[in-house]
Amino acid sequence: MTPVLNPASVISRINRDVERSLLRARNGVRYATTKANVGATPRDVVWRRDRAELWRYRSATPIRYRPPVVIVHSLVSRSYILDLRPGSSAVEFLLGQGHDVYMLDWGVADERDADNTLATYVDEYLPRAVAAVERESEVDEVTLAGYCLGGTFASLYAAGPGTSVRNLILMASPVDYSAMGAMVAAVREGRLQPDELVDESGNVPADALYSGFFMLAPTKQVAQYATLLENLWNDEFVEGYQAMSQWSRDHVPFPGAAMREVVDELVRRNALMTGRVRVGTRTVDLGDVRSNVLNAFAEKDNVVPPEAAEPATSIIGRPERRAELRLRGGHVTFATGRVAFNHTLPALSDWIVAHSTELDPPKER
Amino acid sequence: MAQNQPTWLKLVHRAERAVGDHVEAFVTSDVYFDLLTQGTRASRRVLQAAESVSREWLHLWNLPASSDVRRLHEQLSRVERTLADVAKEVNDRAENGARPKPEKPQ
Repeated sequence: MTPVLNPASVISRINRDVERSLLRARNGVRYATTKANVGATPRDVVWRRDRAELWRYRSATPIRYRPPVVIVHSLVSRSYILDLRPGSSAVEFLLGQGHDVYMLDWGVADERDADNTLATYVDEYLPRAVAAVERESEVDEVTLAGYCLGGTFASLYAAGPGTSVRNLILMASPVDYSAMGAMVAAVREGRLQPDELVDESGNVPADALYSGFFMLAPTKQVAQYATLLENLWNDEFVEGYQAMSQWSRDHVPFPGAAMREVVDELVRRNALMTGRVRVGTRTVDLGDVRSNVLNAFAEKDNVVPPEAAEPATSIIGRPERRAELRLRGGHVTFATGRVAFNHTLPALSDWIVAHSTELDPPKER
Repeated sequence: MAQNQPTWLKLVHRAERAVGDHVEAFVTSDVYFDLLTQGTRASRRVLQAAESVSREWLHLWNLPASSDVRRLHEQLSRVERTLADVAKEVNDRAENGARPKPEKPQ
């Protein structure tokens, strides 16, 4: 039976298409001429050293839990992924749940940072940043949440003597570098030498890092642009797409000395898998972490595949204090998208709450 | 959501996957990384050769070449790093309440 054309529905469809075409034109111009409003949650810089800064976020929601949550960001990407845009921000979500949230941002490395080693981040910056949190929030413990390589730094720090980390959360943090994919394998096997990646500033340039991530799925962008074109009429979609595409192109240089150490120690020796890692002049034993440990990773992560992150559950910390959170989604499931706000972030917040002290009454910020 | 997609978009996604699977298999292969390394080394050699020619020519006229500026920049960065280290040490000692010891005259 042939469907009967209803004139009213044809007219409403034409109206809708005309309206969407106008919105597409407007949003297209906006997309091409403006930058996304990223990292917009109000914050104060409470500590800085070299390029590294510690931010404390402001919120109208009182603080309901102690200790404060300190996010330790990765070294090669921008931290605004976790505060992407108003209404779609992991930081905003955690503030809304009553957590006191800090972000340790490493800044943009330049020539002056080329000699930074793992010890610079683990033994110099992190202890001072944690001390600043304790001073600022008047506490003697923290929850450290490390994202990607930030999780490695947080683990190495938490395993040190006399640290005050009550809870340690690893978010898509690689441990088994033999499962990290082809590019890391090429570096491990010596087909790509670390020195060939470094430019005259002594660092791996941001462009090289972008190319590395882009080459994980080089044709994906075509499909993404097509999806953008179809949804260009939708303000919400365009804002989200713009913020996300800005972040995925926005890398920061990787300090050369730290990169060489990551290659020698973590990639070629796969030291995290042995549980013992050399940091400066000492050897860190990951079994010495006394905190509650949550290892959270995503099943469809193509940057840090689940096979690379999963072993942390049996290596870091005391067996009776370890927990695992296997998530749907990809590498950014901690930051953006429906899965992030419906599953990932509520699950992370619930775990933090279960391992924190509730303040009665809540404290005004 | 995928069910509501128009046919053209479904076709684009299908075509992208058809091509993308092969491209991704190639860019994760040993051949690709060998080519990448060889390409990077070759372009670096060409650049160095071109730089050495232009440097000689510029030095002939007593003009600085970009490699001279780069070397100067590197030296400056080293000085800056040393200064920053000293400044940090002084700050740390001040924070810990200790005064930096004056250096003995040579």
